[in-house]
Parts: sequence; structure tokens; C-alpha cells
Amino acid sequence: MAGSVFVETPPRDAEIVVVGGGVAGMSTALFLARAGRDVVLLERGVPWGVASGANAGTLSLQVKRAEVLDLCKLSLDVWRRFGAEMDVDVGFGQPGGLRVATTDAEVAHLREYSDEQRGGGLEFEWLEGNQLRDMAPWLSTGVRAATFCSGDAYASPLLAGGSLIAAVAKAGGRIVGHAEVTGLSRENGAYRIETTKGATRAKILIITAGPWSGGLARMLGVALPIYVDVNMLSITESAPKLLDRVITHIGGILSLKQLPNGTILIGGGWQGRGRFAGMEKFADHVRLGQNLTTAVSVVPDLAKLRLVRTWAGYEAVAPDALPAFGRLPGTDDAYIAAAARGGFTFGPAQGLLMSEMILGQPPSTPIGRFDPARLLTGAHA
Amino acid sequence: MTGFRITDGIDRGTAFQFTCDGEAVTAYPGESIAAALMAAGHRRTRVSARSQMSRGLYCGMGVCWECIMVVDGKPAVRACMTPAEPGMKVQTQHGVGPGDGA
Amino acid sequence: MRETDLVIVGAGAAGLSAASEAAKHGLSVTVLDDNLLPGGQYFRRLPTSYRHTKETVFDKERARADALYATTGQKGVTYLNDAVVWEAPEDGVLAFARGADSGRIRAKLTIIASGAHDRPAPFPGWTLPGVVTAGGLQNLLKGQRVIPGRRAVVAGNGPLVLLVGATLARAGAELREVVEAAPILKRLAGSIADLLAMPKIVRQAADYRLAIMKSGAKLRTGWTVIEARGANELEEVVLAPIDEAGKVNRSRSRTVKADLLVVGFGLMPSIEMVRLMDCKLEWKPLRGGWVPVRGANFETSRPGVLAVGDGAGIGGVEMALREGKLAGVIAAERLGKLSRDQAASLKAPIQSEIAKVETFRRGLERLYAMPPAFLDLLTPETIVCRCEDVTAGELRARQDAGFGSTAALKGTTRTTMGRCQGRNCLRTLLALIAQASGQPIDQVMMPRPRLPARLVTIGDLLQEELPPIEMPKDPHLPRGEQVS
Ligand SMILES: Cc1cc2nc3c(=O)[nH]c(=O)nc-3n(C[C@H](O)[C@H](O)[C@H](O)COP(=O)(O)OP(=O)(O)OC[C@H]3O[C@@H](n4cnc5c(N)ncnc54)[C@H](O)[C@@H]3O)c2cc1C
Ligand SMILES: Cc1cc2nc3c(=O)[nH]c(=O)nc-3n(C[C@H](O)[C@H](O)[C@H](O)COP(=O)(O)OP(=O)(O)OC[C@H]3O[C@@H](n4cnc5c(N)ncnc54)[C@H](O)[C@@H]3O)c2cc1C
Ligand code: FES
Repeated sequence: MAGSVFVETPPRDAEIVVVGGGVAGMSTALFLARAGRDVVLLERGVPWGVASGANAGTLSLQVKRAEVLDLCKLSLDVWRRFGAEMDVDVGFGQPGGLRVATTDAEVAHLREYSDEQRGGGLEFEWLEGNQLRDMAPWLSTGVRAATFCSGDAYASPLLAGGSLIAAVAKAGGRIVGHAEVTGLSRENGAYRIETTKGATRAKILIITAGPWSGGLARMLGVALPIYVDVNMLSITESAPKLLDRVITHIGGILSLKQLPNGTILIGGGWQGRGRFAGMEKFADHVRLGQNLTTAVSVVPDLAKLRLVRTWAGYEAVAPDALPAFGRLPGTDDAYIAAAARGGFTFGPAQGLLMSEMILGQPPSTPIGRFDPARLLTGAHA
Repeated sequence: MTGFRITDGIDRGTAFQFTCDGEAVTAYPGESIAAALMAAGHRRTRVSARSQMSRGLYCGMGVCWECIMVVDGKPAVRACMTPAEPGMKVQTQHGVGPGDGA
Repeated sequence: MRETDLVIVGAGAAGLSAASEAAKHGLSVTVLDDNLLPGGQYFRRLPTSYRHTKETVFDKERARADALYATTGQKGVTYLNDAVVWEAPEDGVLAFARGADSGRIRAKLTIIASGAHDRPAPFPGWTLPGVVTAGGLQNLLKGQRVIPGRRAVVAGNGPLVLLVGATLARAGAELREVVEAAPILKRLAGSIADLLAMPKIVRQAADYRLAIMKSGAKLRTGWTVIEARGANELEEVVLAPIDEAGKVNRSRSRTVKADLLVVGFGLMPSIEMVRLMDCKLEWKPLRGGWVPVRGANFETSRPGVLAVGDGAGIGGVEMALREGKLAGVIAAERLGKLSRDQAASLKAPIQSEIAKVETFRRGLERLYAMPPAFLDLLTPETIVCRCEDVTAGELRARQDAGFGSTAALKGTTRTTMGRCQGRNCLRTLLALIAQASGQPIDQVMMPRPRLPARLVTIGDLLQEELPPIEMPKDPHLPRGEQVS
């Protein structure tokens, strides 16, 4: 179609083929295309059609484990730069976030956790009593204390998709939708990639297929253990300003934020029902109730709003919950970036770091501990 | 005046008043906010958030959400599904709430 | 959790008839409906404090209506008004929101009688205050005896056009024009034999026509509305002739001053509950679009779930009343209150009446069949998605840029994501996709069904008792299955 940002079929040859059009793949393709490399991105369905388009968009520093803080900071910086410097509107906002505690035990836990984070170089404010009420009068009186991290942010999964896709195309990357990769093999020093829209060849192969990445790696003889969570997410009707920070909970599963259009996203990682096979996934009635109960216990006025929609999506997670990206163990020019807990947050950093790896540039932050080779050891080898 | 009540064959009981954007509106017990407003010729219920377009009653049965108004401070109340009450304060909804004209 | 033999979603013609019949045979029946008063659309009820001082032309259905309302107090029937059924969390269980009384209900059998709403009819200006649906107009009349304008034009396709025209004429509005898109006068001869299966309705239609003519309004067939204009409210309506292929002839358009435009281009079944229950659907354009597949005895593909009335495919009030009654007999039989023979003898007369209504419907469908012509009317500025203010131009630009699928258009424009949950835009979106891709509309991907079936207040959902929350030891670690 004229004017389309997509190309209809894969070319016969490309220098780099990226498999999977979520945040990891799109960011990788963007940085490589901007560096002038010949990139083709193959996507099985609609690009940005699964987790990356269906998640809560929380970009929270303070919920992250200490090991990933530097990576997270880098990624938030890239998220910010998309809009500020690269003309890619991803709906980034950085209102800061409150992590709340509602019991004595949680208050103690929050202290401990935030001390650890501080060790990792994160700045916090400890808030309780009037100070907390002044900053967030909309919080329940049941909230005993909270840490405020000014770096906590969000991006709009809906906006980011269209913008990143357009940016990749503008930079010369070719995106092919509805092209499922069905076979991968090594042939004359290159990768042969079979798709439902014909075969292509590439010198460099990058697998960014979310929870399907393990299956693709297996086609090249590499067994990587990947798990999949079925996360639920709910959205309310649009409402006047109710809360103006990104909310997380030290003792409960919760993420809350109000978007510029007034709708409020309620999530945090409550598990839906269903299986990975056949992509059967549904919201779970009881856990939706528990999710909403937790949300209302923190922001009581949420009880007055109407629920418009609840859905479920897959989040791929490595057994140690750390991001896994880098060269696919035992291959020459195949790479993988998948299975980061909170993968929307990390996607842009993963993309940047993957591009640096492939362009032979020094990494913007140390990446050793994220090497997928670690997953081959121990019980999972 | 646009909009009217059919009075033939119906005794509506004793009228009362509520206000819409500060102006008095007559209603009868059981009458919906939308019906009272239509009868009073007040047809704009909300101004849309993104394009600032005037909207009014459309489906009349609770499914389109075009008739949402701010009622006693509560936004997004469907005027077609909500009975008017004496003294109620109804406001045109601008975007997500009462807007500046409140 | 509440328990009942039979749960019915919808207190309209179909739901209440089913409830009445089933309770008569000894079932405990619970009817849930999201309105304050029973009756559904056709039998929408006046406020109970209003008194009738004499019979008027608007009271012709009072006897049938009162009988239906009485069902809510019938022995064995529990009627829950203001109750939004929003989910089917497990087999035989529905969840509903009803303020402090929200909760779940378990039933041996479920009947979905969810009715219908107007099909979206987008054209330039259709969002102006003063443009209302045929359903909206009839509801204001029946439920409030209020007419939302004075100088009126009616435009649409289908039997409600004449009805609405007559309503406005009889109510004393200044009716200007009534335009029906299908050339029904030309087609009448070919349909009349079937239509006469329901002579009463044919007589009614003739009365409607007479009332319109007497009011001095112009009745045109083979005409449609192409634009509504006005600064902040409706001021004028542009009408134009349309040929049988749906092509509009703009050169013969007419502009009419009006402050009320009633549009009725047919109804669409409310299928959100059957979709949530994963019932199979089929595309039946003449019954309003996607409808649940029904086997013998109105059962959907989900065992124990029956669908009747407009929610199972638009059939009109006479069909809804009879399908409901038959479903009541079926339920009583299935739950052991009637023997097979008893049930059979009760069913036979209803079935023969349904056969007559079906013959009538066939005549009606031939009379009114029209290809929808809206896509040709859309200008770039025409709103398609009212809740999110998305225009046809924006959607077409996204389509041209390659974001042509349902998911991509939703994701990049927010169409269907507002409070109406797609009821006023999904059909148009699917039609735009079908047009651009050359696919038939029934091949275009529907969005996945999502909770809640209708909007519910979060506070209501917290009324349900929930098991204690189990926290994962480490929320970072995976909780789901290993997939590689
Ligand atoms: C409901 C929910 C809420 C979440 N909330 C947050 C949050 O607030 N913050 C956060 O940081 N993270 C969140 N996450 C996690 C986050 O969404 C994901 O980790 C992230 O989007 C993963 O991006 P990805 O690019 O790795 O994978 P995906 O977005 O899953 O993309 C992978 C792509 O690969 C394609 N693909 C698969 N197989 C093939 C094949 N064989 N050939 C071609 N293409 C293929 C898929 O179709 C898909 O488009 C949430 C997840 C869910 C489900
Ligand atoms: C305004 C209007 C006028 C009409 N006039 C005529 C006419 O003159 N002649 C004719 O033959 N036909 C007419 N029809 C068609 C008419 O709808 C049907 O003939 C008849 O009302 C159908 O009855 P029903 O019981 O199937 O549905 P309805 O009467 O629509 O009742 C369904 C009920 O279910 C409720 N409901 C649906 N889902 C839920 C849920 N999830 N939770 C709780 N409640 C729910 C609805 O709110 C509604 O009250 C008209 C339709 C409309 C909309
Ligand atoms: S007019 Fe549609 S919801 Fe009130």
C-alpha cells in the first residue's frame, strides 16, 4: 500500500533480521537503523500487538531489584530522550512515584528495601504523617508510610507503538507484519529465516519474540528456560485528577497511575487464567476483585469510578527474573533480548545496548550479568 | 422553545426545581434529568474532551454515554438514566468534569 | 451467593415473558436488569408516580405492558432492578453490580434476553445535540412522555422510521420530513403476502403512515440523511435520494430546517454477555449482525445458556414475547417441572405463532433490505468514535499508513476504548476495515471480548466476599508456566 510504514513481504536478503515487534525488537531496530544498518523486523501478527501494546506502562525505578537499577536508569533516560530528543512521542511522563506501606511489618520492610536501593544509588524521600498527606491527600489513611522516588515514570504503551514503528520506518528499517518466523537455520555463514511470507537471509539474527523467544532459540539448538506470567490489567473511565503519582505497594501487588486523558490503570501483576498454548488467556474474577480491593485500600476514591475494561497478557520472565539479552550462547551472530521482568521498562535500554553490541561500541552500562548464557547453567542447562 | 412534555392523559404530580448550570429547571418526580432538560430546551449535556464538541442525548437508553453530566459534583452521571431530584445541582460536563464554568 | 433455578438477564419483553412462564410452572426465577424499572425497550415504563388520566394513542399497549410488569411481583420471581450483569465467572454463575447488593448468582439454567440498541449511523454532524436515535426517541416517549425537539425530521431504514414519524406527528411536533432509505412503496407488492401473516402490524403501519400524512409532513422513500448542520445544536438537515445500490444522489439534495433529527438505521443485538460466555456467533445481517448460534430449544453453544429476544437476533417485540414464553416452557421442562408431553402441548401453539412472526419478518426483511451507505458519507472530519473523538480522517490515515487491522486501529487511535465499549463505533470500524481490505465484514477480526460486559462501579465489585490474598514470596520471580 502506498504510504504504508510497513513493507508487504520480507526481502530476500538483509544484513540484520529482528524477530518480534514488541518494545525490545522495535527499540533494537530503531537504534540499528539510525546507525545506518540494514534492518528488517519480522513480526508474526500486528506489530506491537501483544504485551508491549497491552501493558501498564509503569516505568518505576523503586520497584526494581538493586542488580538492575543502573539498567533501569539508563532505560528511563532513553524513554525520556525518545520524546525530548528523537521526536518519538511515547507519552512519557515522570511525576515520580510513591511506594506505600500499610502495616507495621510493611513499614519495616519498606525501610529495609529502600536502604538497599539507596545502596544501589537511588534517591528517596521517606514520607509519613502530614508530609505524606500533603503530597498525596488522596491516599488512604491506612497508608502508614511511603517512599517517594522522583525518577518513577510512565509511558503510554498505545502511543509508543505507533511512534516507534514510524520512527523505525523513517530511519530506513523495514517492518514486515503478519510474517511469522517458522524456521531458523545456519546456511553458508548466514541465517536462513523461514517465514509464513517466504524466506529471507541475514548475517545477523536478533530474537526479540518475548515469551516465544525460547522456542525460536531452540530452532538453533539452544535451550533457554523462559516462564510466562499471565498479567491482568484494568482501566477505569476518565475522571478528573484523582492521583498524580505512580503508585506501587511494598506489601501488595499493585500499580496505579492516572493518564493524561484521565483514565486510571490498575494493575501490578495479578495473575489471570489460561495457558500459553493457543494464547488462551482471561481475566480471573477473584483476582480482579483482590486487585481492586488492594487498589481501593490505597486510594479510596477509586471505588467511585467505573471499570471500563480488564484484560490479560503474557509477560515472559527468566527463572532468575533478570533481563536476558546478548549473544545467543554457542552461536556466531545470533542474539536474543527477552524475558525481562518489567520488560516494557527495560525495552529501550535493551535496544540501545544490543545495538552497541552489534555496532562494536562500548556498552552504556555494564551488561555482564544479563548474558543469556547464565541461564544455561545449573538446573536449567 | 425546542422540546416539550406530552401532557394529554398524564398527571405527573407536583413539579419541583433543580438547577442546570445555575438556571432553574422544572421536573416531576420520577422524571429523568435528560427528560427535564429536553423539555426545558437545554440540549447540550457535555463538551467532548478531545475536540471540544457539543454533545447531547443520543441513545436514550444508557449505552452511548453522550448524556453524561456533573450531578451534585459527581461527574459522568448519565442524564438519561438518572431521575431528577429537587434541588439537584446539574452542570454541563466539560471533558472529564465541570470545567472552568463551574 | 444467591441461588435460583433460572436466571434471566434482561427484563424486557423476552426476559419477562420467560420469567412469567417459568415461574408459573414452579421454577424459582431471578431476573436481572440494569434499568430502574422493568419493561426493557419496547415496554419502557413511565415513572410509577405518574397517573393516567385517560387513554391516549400512546396507551395502546398498556394491557400487555401491565401484564409484563406484574411478572416482577409474581410468585417465584425475584426481580433485581438496577443490576448490571458484568461477567460469567464460572459455569452457571453470573456476577452483577447493584450497589451494596452486588454479588454473584448461581443458577441451573441461564437465559440471556439482553435486547438491542441502535446501530451507529455516522454521517457529518451526527454528533450534534438534537440528533437522537429512534430508540432514544421512543424511550423518551414511552418512559417520559417527552419529545426532545420541535421541528423534526426522521430518517433511517426499517420499520421504526414510520413508527417514530407517527409518534412525533401524534405528539404534536412540527414534523417536516420522514425519509426511509429503502424504496418500500415499490417493493410492497412483493412483500405483502408475507407481511399479512401479522395483519395487526400491517394495519398499525398503515395508521402510522396516515398519521404522518395528516401532519402535513412529507414522507419519502428511497431518501436518506446525508448531513446534519448547526453551530452547537442541530439547525438543519440535508437529505438526498439514494438508489437501490445505496448510492446517494447529492445533486438532488434538500436542506430542511429542524431542531430534531431522529435517525434509525436498524438495531444491533447486545451480545456482550454471550461473547463473554464464549458462545459461538454467526453473522446474520438481517437479524442485526453478529448473533449467538442457537440450537434446538434456543440453547447457545454453551450448554445451559439460552438466548432469546432481540439479543439473539433482531426479531421485534412480537418475536421477543413469544420466544421468551417458549423459553420459559423449555426451562420448566429441562428442570423437571413439566413432562415432555406437557411441554410439547404448551410449545405447539407458541411455535406456530413464532412461525407466523417469522413469515412476517421475511416480508419485512425483503421490504427494507438496503446496503448500508454510510461509508460514502464520511468526510475526514466526521466523528466515528464518539467517546474518544476519533474522526474518519484519522482512521483512514492510519489505514493508509498500514495500521489496518482491528487491533492496530484500536491501539493507535483508541477507537472502541471509551465508555460505550465500542457500541457506537465498532460496527463502523469493522466496515472501514472491510472496505479497505476487500474482506467481507464478517471476516474482519472482532476485538476479544473483555470484562466487564457493561460499565460497573468499582466499589460495587468489592461487595463480593473474596478469599484471603496470597502474596507471592518474591514478586519478581515467575509465577506462571515454563514455556521453553
Ligand atoms: C498486563 C501487563 C502489564 C504489564 N505492565 C508492565 C509495566 O507496567 N511495566 C513494565 O515495564 N512491564 C510491564 N509488563 C511487561 C511488558 O509488557 C513486557 O515485558 C514487554 O512488553 C515485553 O516486550 P518484548 O518486546 O520483549 O515482547 P512482546 O511485546 O511480547 O513482543 C514480542 C513480539 O514477538 C512476536 N513474535 C513471537 N513469535 C514470533 C515469530 N515466530 N515470528 C515473528 N514474530 C514473533 C510477537 O507476536 C510479539 O509481537 C506488563 C505485561 C503485561 C502483560
Ligand atoms: C426504543 C425501541 C423501540 C422499539 N420499538 C419497537 C416496535 O415498535 N415494534 C417492534 O416490534 N419492535 C420494536 N423495537 C424492537 C424491540 O427492542 C424489541 O422488539 C423488544 O423490546 C425486544 O425485547 P427484548 O426483551 O428482546 O429486549 P429489550 O426490550 O431490549 O430488553 C433487554 C433488557 O436487558 C437489559 N440488559 C442487557 N444486558 C444487560 C446486562 N448485561 N445487565 C443487565 N441488564 C441488561 C437491557 O437494559 C434491557 O432492559 C424497539 C426497540 C427499541 C430499542
Ligand atoms: S443518551 Fe446514551 S447514555 Fe444517555
